[in-house]
Amino acid sequence: MFRSRTPVLLIAALLAPALIGLVVFRLYPVALAVSDSFFNIVRGQQVFVGFDNYLSLLSDRTFWKSMQVTFWFNLLINPIQIALALGLALLYVQQFRGVTLYRVLFLIPIGVSLPTAVIIWRIMLTQDGLVNGLIGIAGVPAQPWLTSESLALYSIIAIATWKGISYWMIFIIGGLQTISPEIYDAARLDGVKPWQRLIFITIPLLRPTLLFVLVADVSINFLLFAPIFMLTQGGPADSTNVLMYEAYKSGFIFGDMGRAMAIIVVVVAILLIIVAAQFKLLSGREARQ
Amino acid sequence: MTARSDRPGKALSLGLKHLAYLIIAFIFVLPLWWAIVSSLRPNSAIFADIFPFTPKALLPAPFTLEAYGGIFERGFGLIIANTMLVALVTMAAGLIVNGAAGFAFAMFDFKGKKFILSAIIISFMLPFEAIALPLYTVTQQLGWLDNIAALIVPSVANGLAVFLFYQFFSQVPKDYAEAARLDGVSWIDILLRIYVPLSLPTCISAALLLFIFQWEAFLWPLLAMPSQQFKVIQVGMAAFQQQYQTIWNQLFAVSVITALIPIALLLPLQRYYVQGLAGAGIKG
Repeated sequence: MFRSRTPVLLIAALLAPALIGLVVFRLYPVALAVSDSFFNIVRGQQVFVGFDNYLSLLSDRTFWKSMQVTFWFNLLINPIQIALALGLALLYVQQFRGVTLYRVLFLIPIGVSLPTAVIIWRIMLTQDGLVNGLIGIAGVPAQPWLTSESLALYSIIAIATWKGISYWMIFIIGGLQTISPEIYDAARLDGVKPWQRLIFITIPLLRPTLLFVLVADVSINFLLFAPIFMLTQGGPADSTNVLMYEAYKSGFIFGDMGRAMAIIVVVVAILLIIVAAQFKLLSGREARQ
Repeated sequence: MTARSDRPGKALSLGLKHLAYLIIAFIFVLPLWWAIVSSLRPNSAIFADIFPFTPKALLPAPFTLEAYGGIFERGFGLIIANTMLVALVTMAAGLIVNGAAGFAFAMFDFKGKKFILSAIIISFMLPFEAIALPLYTVTQQLGWLDNIAALIVPSVANGLAVFLFYQFFSQVPKDYAEAARLDGVSWIDILLRIYVPLSLPTCISAALLLFIFQWEAFLWPLLAMPSQQFKVIQVGMAAFQQQYQTIWNQLFAVSVITALIPIALLLPLQRYYVQGLAGAGIKG
């Protein structure tokens, strides 16, 4: 009965602004990226080149090096961030006197934007900065955190992790709140140790939440741009030159939009494959149990 | 006897607990704390007391406010006002647009609803960075480069905000709306008089989300405003960093202001922000 009087015009009016926004500023750009990747700009004219931009990527050393950097970066940063976010969430939900203050402090990096975090950390990580001062207490010599080929990528991972884990923690807290305390009570009565509770109860029950966090975290880190742009510009010696930065350089520094779009399409396609694989592997296991 | 031997053990474990929490909290707070302290020092004293390290490095002494005076002389007041304008307009428009869509999804059944809803959810899983470059071309086609509309309009429709409203409105019992409809109340009145007041917590979550998104936007304003006549805070800060690498105390002052405004909003409202996002994660 409720349905028979569905006011079609009203629904259209309510949905139109959001849908137009999503179509024009989300879907259309994706389509445009795909189509632009088949063109090159030659003397101000768009010329159709078919798959040339993709084919030349195949034999492009810079591109493959950049691909390697992107994968290595993601293989490290995502597990680290999720493990730390889980640990932090477990600390956040503890109940004891004074925990409220810690909870507020754990949330601080959410308010600090990535560019702000980058600027502060850059100065902290300079040769005579605070981090080198602190490790100096333990007698460790000062390190060239951002200017050495072997350290720069890891410094970026550390900065992005500092900034990111509070945000992912929030989602895991939401997941933890759905686990009923009786399960833990029963486990405690059966003499299950705390680390066993974590591995055999908490993590399996958190799987949907962890899957969501994994997918969202990988999507962000696979496309991370700001810290590389602000700190290293891909250097030293291309050691931090992730694909997003390579695409930006191609389009906005070398004016090769065709190559830039081809890289973006490849990056997003790889990302979609990874996300689909994560869904298949992780939610498939759940169905079997 | 067991009770007596328990007590020191408990006190010890509580002490260890506080120590562990303190160390972690210290790591979270240290960068911002050092930025605040350094922004209150003269530029020549930024790296004092670090080699060898003394705790004095973490105190604002000698104390001066000159860095804050300096950044306002460089026009950061205007940049902050610009960013506020962009963030507040996006927030207001975003609440209306996304709230209306969430309401429509929650209240009505129509053809293709599931498909459209999942398209929206997927659209918010895809980060903005993925479409920033092609969005630049779209903006160029619209003739909006260097126009403030380029900063606001693409960010108004937000999949996550639609989803938050959809989720909230779905939980409200339909009886309210049905009873009101039988009394001849129009849908618009039902939305404005019943649902909007009920959804205040969701509005706060979504508003924070939209505000923080714009406040933190960096790559997009960098691309969409090539002449940088109209600067927003993150881009202004990055440009300042590149131009005046060694005026550290002013750089810190900019960073502190950039961070403290969202933090000042988040801390009193953290309950809404945490609940909103945590709920989205479970059902998303």
